[in-house]
Amino acid sequence: MTRGLSLVALLCLVSLLSLTLGEVRMPLADLWQGLTTGEGPGAMTLRVLRGPRLATALGTGAVLGLSGAVFQSLLRNPLAAPDVMGFTAGSGLAVVAALVLGLVLPMPLIAAAGGIAAALVVAVVSWRPGARDNSLTLILVGLGTGFTATGLATFLGLTLGDTMAAEARRWIAGSLAARTWSHAGQVWGIGLILALALALQVRALGLLELGPDLASGLGLRVARARNMLLATAVLLAAAGVAVAGPVPFVALMAGPLGIGLTMARRPGTRLLYAAGAGAAITAGADLLARAAVPGVQLPVGVMTGLLGAPYLLWLLSREFGKGEA
Amino acid sequence: MNDIPQGAGLRVEGLSLGYDARRVIEGLDLSLPAGCVTAILGPNGCGKSTLLHALARLRPPLAGRITLEGRALASFPPRALAQKLAILPQAPLAPPGIRVADLVRRGRAPWRGLLQPWSAADATACDAAIAAVGLGPQAGDPVDALSGGQRQRAWIALVLAQSTPFLLLDEPTTWLDLAHQIEILSLLRRLNRERGITVVSVLHDLNLAARYSDRLVLLGREGLIAEGSPEAVMTEANLARAFGLAARVLPDPVSGTPMVCPL
Amino acid sequence: MGAVLRLWPVALLMLAAVALTLGVGVRDLSAGAIWRALTAWDPTDPAQVVLVEIRLPRLATGLVAGAALGLAGCVMQALTRNPLADPGLLGVNAGAAFAVVTGALIIGGSGAGLTAILAFPGAALAAAAVFLLGGGLRGEPGPVRLTLAGVAVSALLYSIVNALVLIRGDALEVFRFWVAGTLAQGLQKPLAEMGLVVLAGWLLTLWLAPLLELLALGRDLARGLGTNPLRVQGGALLAVTLLSGAGVAIAGPIAFLGLIVPPVTRRLAGGDLRRELMVAPFVGASILLLADGAGRLILAPAEVRVGVMTAILGGPVFVWIARSLRPGEAR
Repeated sequence: MTRGLSLVALLCLVSLLSLTLGEVRMPLADLWQGLTTGEGPGAMTLRVLRGPRLATALGTGAVLGLSGAVFQSLLRNPLAAPDVMGFTAGSGLAVVAALVLGLVLPMPLIAAAGGIAAALVVAVVSWRPGARDNSLTLILVGLGTGFTATGLATFLGLTLGDTMAAEARRWIAGSLAARTWSHAGQVWGIGLILALALALQVRALGLLELGPDLASGLGLRVARARNMLLATAVLLAAAGVAVAGPVPFVALMAGPLGIGLTMARRPGTRLLYAAGAGAAITAGADLLARAAVPGVQLPVGVMTGLLGAPYLLWLLSREFGKGEA
Repeated sequence: MNDIPQGAGLRVEGLSLGYDARRVIEGLDLSLPAGCVTAILGPNGCGKSTLLHALARLRPPLAGRITLEGRALASFPPRALAQKLAILPQAPLAPPGIRVADLVRRGRAPWRGLLQPWSAADATACDAAIAAVGLGPQAGDPVDALSGGQRQRAWIALVLAQSTPFLLLDEPTTWLDLAHQIEILSLLRRLNRERGITVVSVLHDLNLAARYSDRLVLLGREGLIAEGSPEAVMTEANLARAFGLAARVLPDPVSGTPMVCPL
Repeated sequence: MGAVLRLWPVALLMLAAVALTLGVGVRDLSAGAIWRALTAWDPTDPAQVVLVEIRLPRLATGLVAGAALGLAGCVMQALTRNPLADPGLLGVNAGAAFAVVTGALIIGGSGAGLTAILAFPGAALAAAAVFLLGGGLRGEPGPVRLTLAGVAVSALLYSIVNALVLIRGDALEVFRFWVAGTLAQGLQKPLAEMGLVVLAGWLLTLWLAPLLELLALGRDLARGLGTNPLRVQGGALLAVTLLSGAGVAIAGPIAFLGLIVPPVTRRLAGGDLRRELMVAPFVGASILLLADGAGRLILAPAEVRVGVMTAILGGPVFVWIARSLRPGEAR
């Protein structure tokens, strides 16, 4: 548990820097004054500008990190993540499609529908009778599904007017610009409910890690437990996409980073730290995207791409260097 | 061991197993009495592992029925079955970096309710299981760091922590060297003698099976060839039928059990 | 196995593609008008002007780019023994975009010539990086590893390009070309030069074809049969660079075409690589032109860029090929 402190410290540091740095530097004293008195420039920053954006970033990162950790654990493959496997792209496509069709439905619902549809497509297409342990086929089919969803979303985005197209771009690439407390509340609220649902399934996850036969021998209804976990993970990813778009690579990186930092072994603590790492990555990437170059606001998706792509390359060289997979 | 009440163990009646087109086992009748160490033997592809999987309900029968202590196997709720019968599959997967103690803890799953915290009974069962396989000093080590024989003992500790009267093992000695094979088999027999656990395992080595088992089940390509005591099953005629192997059977100079010498 | 080269489906495809490209658009042209423009040129007839200044350059762009990318896909798949290889997926597009955008920022110009010159080294470096990071030298680069290496390299380069574009507003104009490929404005592009490059690449691949088939038997066996694997791989990478660089230079990033073409040519040519490479340019050009025609029709009068159309078409093809891999092959 003491090792978890490093992660907590990282989260605090990223949060503080996110609140102080940016277009205008906000000294800690001003923030403190804003927090205690509710007045001054610090209060404005906390309440309207950087506060909600930071809260949204933390929540989005946490749900994406949780989702990625569940996938990696279930499929026993560090390459498995909702972004690699096209589920977040499916969520983004659903949101763009809803914009085009003018559907007035809550965003999380649409994103969830898209993510689940993508997951079903991947599951159905890669299913073959008698084939077991086909996580690599799943990943490949997921990649292709993601390509398709992104292509369709780009196409649909073209049919929108200029103002809507800017909004559509968020749902294709991921951005945290102009997020309010309602977005933060949404991702935290839904995220906490889903995290609770996940907490009830942690023991099943620990058994599934031992392989389906042994898990079944230990009294687990394997198919049901696996489907429930996958559904929870897809919904978690969708909750993140619904507020920030398909921010790439967070889900892929969060689990290994959180586990690497804390050396956590048990499924429950691993998930917890994956969530923390996801939050730290997303908030940190958004901070960099916002404040690294003066006068320029990059979308957070660009920054997670810059961070995540080298990680993926490193992972590929390491995984396959071992000669497995 | 001969005065066991009927239906106390696993019984198989008219069992057929296989895949859609190809039936591996057809109309098998078999009884695996409680309190015995039973080895299932046979040539590759005769359905040994398939049978073991069916006994653990990992695979549904195409026809026939299996009963456990007189009750239909199919009627057990999953957790109730997991409290009665444990299965160790052939190639279980260890989560990367997991430690022995954490691995063994997962064997307590059938005894814990959804929100039930880790109990003293759980801890006792895990400690006892780790001690029984002699891994006490390694309890805090990562499973990846163990030797082959130690790793297999860690897995056995997991199914022991499950605290079931029936223990099914699929080729528990494969990939191990002779010393480790004997270590595992004598561990299983000791567990049987000391705790009365019924052990059913699929084995490859005929001589070791005869030496460490109370009963043998010999399968051939055309189904059951013989079952019973090692002396009754391991005959030259049965071996010829099961494996197409010409062999002499002599008494083992150490244990007196049958020993196969291929001609 | 008698490898019969079936040419009539290719001819039909080509015919449909050419007819669609020349005849259909904002203003539909009849066959008669097209014929008149070719035989009795009349610069005052708007239909004829449309044909000569817009449609014919479009056709030429599509022919050169489609041929180049189709061939590049076939060579890449033969080289990597990976049915999911495609220049766009394996980093070529991102590499070219990266080189052109950074080059334009450093040098400060953005002519078509500069684009073409910068696209080649960018494409070559990115493709080589993906090939090496994907494990191309150490042995068999499996589909998962190669594709993900392509995804990662592309993501990295595009992120840098995106950041540069947003930081330096003046790069936006150069970049617009690199969002999705298009066959429009052929007159402003170095069509003839790139056509020659593609021709050279085609001849190179035809010469390499039997050697690549030997290499497909495994490096040791290929060496035993008297080939030099490194030289064949180097030659194939050179061909891929020439072809995909030229295609990207005139049409911008077009992904998935190199994925769609090889399964078609394999069926047409019955598994003989040289025959496949003979038809691949025509199949590639037809598919690209048909996709372009569909892009002009689907939201008419607005035009969907052909790069978007191939992405929509190619995603499902990718899924279909991925699914058909046996588990052992999906590494």
